[in-house]
Amino acid sequence: MFRKILIANRGEIAVRILRACRELGIQTVGVFSEVDRNALHVRLADEAYPIGPAASRESYLRIEKLIDIARKMGCDALHPGYGFLAENPALPRACTDAGVTFIGPPAEAMEGMGSKTAGKQLARRSDVPTVPGTDDPIDNPEEAQSLARTMGYPVVLKAVAGGGGKGMRVVPNDAAFAGAWRDAASEALNAFGDPRVFLEKYLIAPRHIEIQVFADAHGRVVSLGERECSVQRRHQKVIEEAPSPVVTPDLRRKMGEAAVRLARAGGYVNAGTVEFLVDASLNFYFLEVNTRLQVEHPVTEQVTGLDLVKLQIAIAAGHRLPFAWESITPRGHAMEVRLYAEDPDNNFFPSPGQILSRHAPTGPGIRLDEGVYEGYTVPMEYDPLLSKLIAWGNSREETIARLRRALDEYTITGIRTNVSLFRRVLAEPEFLRGEIHTKWLDELLTRPRPPAVAPREGTEDAAVIAAALWEVQQSEISSETSHAAPTPSRWKVQGRREQLDRTS
Amino acid sequence: MKFEVQLKSSSGQVKKRVVELEREASRYRVKLDGEPVNADATQIAPSTISVLLNGQSFEVHITPSLDGTIKLQTGPHEFTAELQDPRAWQGRKHGASEAEGRQQIVAPMPGKVIRLLVRVGDEVEAGQGLLVVEAMKMQNEIRSPKTGKVERLQVKEGQAVNAGEVLCVVG
Repeated sequence: MFRKILIANRGEIAVRILRACRELGIQTVGVFSEVDRNALHVRLADEAYPIGPAASRESYLRIEKLIDIARKMGCDALHPGYGFLAENPALPRACTDAGVTFIGPPAEAMEGMGSKTAGKQLARRSDVPTVPGTDDPIDNPEEAQSLARTMGYPVVLKAVAGGGGKGMRVVPNDAAFAGAWRDAASEALNAFGDPRVFLEKYLIAPRHIEIQVFADAHGRVVSLGERECSVQRRHQKVIEEAPSPVVTPDLRRKMGEAAVRLARAGGYVNAGTVEFLVDASLNFYFLEVNTRLQVEHPVTEQVTGLDLVKLQIAIAAGHRLPFAWESITPRGHAMEVRLYAEDPDNNFFPSPGQILSRHAPTGPGIRLDEGVYEGYTVPMEYDPLLSKLIAWGNSREETIARLRRALDEYTITGIRTNVSLFRRVLAEPEFLRGEIHTKWLDELLTRPRPPAVAPREGTEDAAVIAAALWEVQQSEISSETSHAAPTPSRWKVQGRREQLDRTS
Repeated sequence: MKFEVQLKSSSGQVKKRVVELEREASRYRVKLDGEPVNADATQIAPSTISVLLNGQSFEVHITPSLDGTIKLQTGPHEFTAELQDPRAWQGRKHGASEAEGRQQIVAPMPGKVIRLLVRVGDEVEAGQGLLVVEAMKMQNEIRSPKTGKVERLQVKEGQAVNAGEVLCVVG
């Protein structure tokens, strides 16, 4: 087993990984940019070292700095987390050169499976159904348009190097083709430095269901079942659950076998996710492979009882998959919501800033994976993910009830969060019936909001009394300390000052 | 201590209430709109207050805003309150209620100004984009709250701004 692991990431995932290391008795080394000195992963790591300015391309994306720290501090392995360098084959290569074990797939498997077109070719070769479309990027828009006509509209253009919905355009009809092509290519160029796009048949209202696979270095590949991730806002997952409300044991077996075939054909090792689109008749089509740990891995952990990060570490250390895996049956139900620092009442504007107070939910069936704490300033430079709130229970109904209860307990002030979005979704009859698809949430958000639940009697009175009491306490604090003008909050003022110092 | 509280609910309804707090040992006696009420209010964390009102338990979380109002959160409900001590010479500024007249447009979050969409002297419509602020990898258009004329632009492209910082003035 490893002695010391460098965690090349930040935020909740860095915390998640270092917790696994600690349980395994492995020393942890964290890294941090200039704005992350106070981050939770730095506080919890055994050692932590600065790696540069706030901009990630000058810090978290600098391979040579990471390798340098790993070598100097005597790390024998590196975990990339997700995002940043997690799917960049240059990182496993640099690790190998430096004699540090990369906790993830080999560079060749990343290249052979990670890009959308390479993944699709591999899927075809390994007899995994794919959405009708082109395998290769198309250079000529006229050629692409005639293909689209043959395939039948709607079609979708996607960036070869893409992800997160960037460089992606749905083309409803022939007239819209030329404009969509131009937009997709220029967006792809801006986002990824690569304008190439490919073409696919567009499925109407599909579900996004993915299979978690694990492969060891000795040729065993297993499926750990599916996750349903159909609730997405602008192509970004916001709620994930396992098992899927529509997957039958038979479909689970078929999808699992397809994913395993694909991983085996790609020479895959370690944790990976094979994403599928599933249509209304429960036909599944290969979408892409994520050659890393997923944000939503906890829901699989909750229904399998496995710790996927520890499993990743064990496989990287050369261990065999520790279980005979013929068929996994998920136990109970798990659901995750992604809490972001953004304001759902104001067009999901990002809301970085200082967390003035926070009460985290606990109790039966609740798990909170997060990288924040009371008093922490959420920086504006990175992804707005604050916490992942995960609930599990014996049934989907019990899980949803627990999640709702936990969301009611969760309070955070100082910044805005998208908690109210989840309160709304978890009360929607369609969601409760499991009738969801990848456009469902975007459509829901265009509908008028249901009338707010009337506050119970006395709520306004209590609010008014609290406001007055708070005012009294504030003036007592300021008269005790000085005769300076009363301030809204010392914390807030301090936070602003720090931010000024930083950005000026 | 006596306060006038303007309480605005998220639906926009505004109510004026009067609260009197009279210290009694370690607690307060509370009067609401002149009537004594059975309330036990206590501060349990710097910005969290627990209120037992006729035995009904409420927890209220408080966030002060830059415009002098305070935000109250209790469960899924939110209110904005403006407090005035009637004995004070000058009350708090009526920042939030100033719907007409000259408008200061402030940054809703810390970020970086990446584009100015208007120039000083431009006539703008309510809802028209004034400038674009980038934060957390997202570009956000800041729009004019009213129809009028851009009187001042306080920021340049590329400039970092803090939440609450005045970006421009529309008169």
